[in-house]
Amino acid sequence: MALFSPPISSSSLQNPNFIPKFSFSLLSTNRFSFLSVTRASSDSGSTSPTAATAVEAPEPVEVIVKEPPQSTPAVKKEAISTTDNVAVEGEEMKTTETVIKFQDARWINGTWDLKQFEKDGKTDWDSVIVAEAKRRKWLEENPETTSNDEPLLFDTSIIPWWAWIKRYHLPEAELLNGRAAMIGFFMAYFVDSLTGVGLVDQMGNFFCKTLLFVSVAGVLFIRKNEDVDKLKNLFDETTLYDKQWQAAWKNDDDESLGASKK
Amino acid sequence: MATTVTLKSFTGLRQSSTEQTNFVSHVPSSLSLPQRRSSLRVTASRATPKLSNRKLRVAVIGGGPAGGAAAETLAQGGIETILIERKMDNCKPCGGAIPLCMVGEFNLPLDIIDRRVTKMKMISPSNIAVDIGRTLKEHEYIGMVRREVLDAYLRERAEKSGATVINGLFLKMDHPENWDSPYTLHYTEYDGKTGATGTKKTMEVDAVIGADGANSRVAKSIDAGDYDYAIAFQERIRIPDEKMTYYEDLAEMYVGDDVSPDFYGWVFPKCDHVAVGTGTVTHKGDIKKFQLATRNRAKDKILGGKIIRVEAHPIPEHPRPRRLSKRVALVGDAAGYVTKCSGEGIYFAAKSGRMCAEAIVEGSQNGKKMIDEGDLRKYLEKWDKTYLPTYRVLDVLQKVFYRSNPAREAFVEMCADEYVQKMTFDSYLYKRVAPGSPLEDIKLAVNTIGSLVRANALRREIEKLNV
Repeated sequence: MALFSPPISSSSLQNPNFIPKFSFSLLSTNRFSFLSVTRASSDSGSTSPTAATAVEAPEPVEVIVKEPPQSTPAVKKEAISTTDNVAVEGEEMKTTETVIKFQDARWINGTWDLKQFEKDGKTDWDSVIVAEAKRRKWLEENPETTSNDEPLLFDTSIIPWWAWIKRYHLPEAELLNGRAAMIGFFMAYFVDSLTGVGLVDQMGNFFCKTLLFVSVAGVLFIRKNEDVDKLKNLFDETTLYDKQWQAAWKNDDDESLGASKK
Repeated sequence: MATTVTLKSFTGLRQSSTEQTNFVSHVPSSLSLPQRRSSLRVTASRATPKLSNRKLRVAVIGGGPAGGAAAETLAQGGIETILIERKMDNCKPCGGAIPLCMVGEFNLPLDIIDRRVTKMKMISPSNIAVDIGRTLKEHEYIGMVRREVLDAYLRERAEKSGATVINGLFLKMDHPENWDSPYTLHYTEYDGKTGATGTKKTMEVDAVIGADGANSRVAKSIDAGDYDYAIAFQERIRIPDEKMTYYEDLAEMYVGDDVSPDFYGWVFPKCDHVAVGTGTVTHKGDIKKFQLATRNRAKDKILGGKIIRVEAHPIPEHPRPRRLSKRVALVGDAAGYVTKCSGEGIYFAAKSGRMCAEAIVEGSQNGKKMIDEGDLRKYLEKWDKTYLPTYRVLDVLQKVFYRSNPAREAFVEMCADEYVQKMTFDSYLYKRVAPGSPLEDIKLAVNTIGSLVRANALRREIEKLNV
């Protein structure tokens, strides 16, 4: 008997007529139970969900789209892969191994539909930026094939410059200005206590001005501990290629210096 | 007077050192100026003696574009030329792209070119695709050639000009004792009759041009030093005809960390198939992984294709520390003349072969006189003066735009700009840095910085999501 039972269960999964009903019944249930049921079924008989599964059946895609946009792509991936494993097992593996593509309600025809990002009648650029970042992160982890039928038309320059400044430049500028102010205040106090030279007189002194320049440059360029090494490496990097080209001339210059001594 | 003996190893550095003993009086004045090499180009060629009853003999090791071009120029200049090539039908793994100026400069017949690529597609890590080529004029294109066809054509032309082409493998060379003794080359000659092993032979020549590629034996024998190199891995895939029409005149470039950490993946159309490949310098062990990723990115477009050939080869990243030594000079890949960023080498190989041969022809006055290191140095000077800016610019581009995914995204965004496309194609097709308009240059600079800032800001956002 043990010999018979496994084939029956797997053959039932593989029976193409059986599958649509199976998947429909899954889809009609509540989303959460949907996930738990598919997880259970995936454990029971089907092969482990791999990245390369078909997204051909239109039904799973519809369900995903109805999900609210806040769900992370990771959840979508799991949902798609588990349903499709169940749905597709009956079909033979074609030469086309279709992969999961990036899906989002607001990503239409290869670009972000800005109308869906509106808040109080104006486009919420912050959420556009976050959505694009999520898309890029998804693609870094799951590189997709490019296709001529679905060209990607999104260009980050449609996001206005002030949105970038507000989101990235201003917080960092605040941080750096704060650091510079703290350093400036304490250095001014320190120098005053040591030498008795007040703030106004300090500004007239060349040495103090140099110190000021060095501390401003330091605050600007060294923002993290790693930046010190990075700057050193950067300098080496910029000059390396030139050095490699000049090597042909350098060798002989050394020799010639040796010759002239003789 | 003692200087004439001790100066043997410094021939060519100070022209006066090669003069006969009568002219030793010139030596001290030129030796006192070690730095400025350019100011000393005065009397060397006049001083070398005439060859009494024979022409100058030069051997060109390697019969690729560099060797073929060098041998042709030498033979046309009246020099006795011997070209040694180890595999006459060598089907080299190569992108096979030549710029338009090469067709004109080397008088290539148009039937050598299998395809004319007039469109390129650059695809960013997030699959943003940009079409390049709108600014190309009717007659402009990138020529795709089969290396075996091009190499054989250049060798044939050299032979017709009077060079002797030998099918043989260069083994090593004996350095001369005096400044005018010949080099003795040891090589194995395959004459087709004695089978695969060939017969060992030697040959005496006055000068050698090393055009034997990235693993040059000539370079080893003159202690030229090593270079960093990239591994380029390529699969030739025959795809169905309807998919081939897409690649009729279009080549693709894929950038991304998945495809290569410091280079790009490509799909180049060849005569009846496409070549899909990628390359890397720093992560050579993962090259297969990168190749799979490249195939994955192009998957839809090469679906149903059959891999007909898998090949790999090294690409030099920068020149060797020493590109010449006495009367031996390196050209082409052996010298390391491959540009960064695009990895272009065929044109520079052929051009350097020609330039070196021209320097030899001029220095020997069409084969009548012996040459010395100074004449070969002229070739190095001319080469560096003409092409170092090009190499530098491409190095900067590679450093700035290939370092990370955000940089690559910015790169692809920049390539969408028409001005960028025009400048890029002008400099690639004609190998000249055309002066653009300053206003456009400023706009370009602003746009570049903007793209880089946006892409890096998005990367910071991605890192925030990771946390």
